Amino acid sequence: MVVTKDMYLPTEEELTVEEVPLSSAPLRAGAFHYGKFCENENNEFMLCRNELNDPRKCINEGKAVTACAMTFFRNVKNLCEKEFVQYSNCLDKSSQNFDFEKCRNTQAVLDKCMADKMNIERPEYGYYCRPKVHATSRPKPEPEKPAVYPDATPYLPDDAPRTKANYGSRLYWFN
Amino acid sequence: MAPHIQDMPPEGGYQKIIFERIPAKSYFGGYAMIAGYLGITAGACYLFYLNKRKVTREEIEARSAKIAIHPLLLAERDREFLKQLRRNRDEEEKLMANVDGWEVGTYKGEPIYKTIPKDKFIDPMYNEYYAHSSYWDWAKRAHLKFWT
Repeated sequence: MVVTKDMYLPTEEELTVEEVPLSSAPLRAGAFHYGKFCENENNEFMLCRNELNDPRKCINEGKAVTACAMTFFRNVKNLCEKEFVQYSNCLDKSSQNFDFEKCRNTQAVLDKCMADKMNIERPEYGYYCRPKVHATSRPKPEPEKPAVYPDATPYLPDDAPRTKANYGSRLYWFN
Repeated sequence: MAPHIQDMPPEGGYQKIIFERIPAKSYFGGYAMIAGYLGITAGACYLFYLNKRKVTREEIEARSAKIAIHPLLLAERDREFLKQLRRNRDEEEKLMANVDGWEVGTYKGEPIYKTIPKDKFIDPMYNEYYAHSSYWDWAKRAHLKFWT
């Protein structure tokens, strides 16, 4: 494998945190409110991940995301468990691909509970598909510099004589 | 013996034998047909438009949910991925312990990437990533697109 001993890899302990033990249906049921609740953590993590393109450098941001998700789903469990389970059950069993269209009634019940008890409104339609501007304290990574090769052919000095080509222009179709 | 009765034509003669061509009754003329075709097509286009708008709407909503949940899934995936890389590296070290001059991640000290910094992270090929796993785990990954 390409991973050598010189490469830093975080240890197992550094990487082990409590993961979110939920399956597709509840994750999908809570997606919109979760995205709003953890918006800052999510944007921070995605920015880091896309800017640096290196999973090792965004471990802490990722842990923050998971911790925030745990908080969110624990809150849901405390405050809106019945509505949430009802909605995710509906999503799970109404269609093959967790269609939201089929579950508008249970969704309205969940939205009401979320708005009343957890103070999270469902974001408007298409909210997550829009690009976001995120303010972060992490410095911007430097752009990659062009490669410098020690054995590259040196340029002609500026004062080198530039005579006419002996056999005419190479761009003979221009002339 | 009964008297002969001659068979005679009915009063007024036999019915005329019809031998001219009788064309089928035509309900629509050419212009009406073309107009009908255009009308039905226009109606179908409108229905298609309504349906497409609904489908697009649903797709965007589904995509929104995926985007919202993506950081959570990606964070979990990254952690497991890095754990697995470490496991692979340890496994390779154990497996090749008896080979002279073997250095982990290189071919006997010759690295795969020469012009990049040593600590730069490059995603390994999945064939290498699954090198120490069972064939079926590899096949699941390799043939992913056949099943989704």
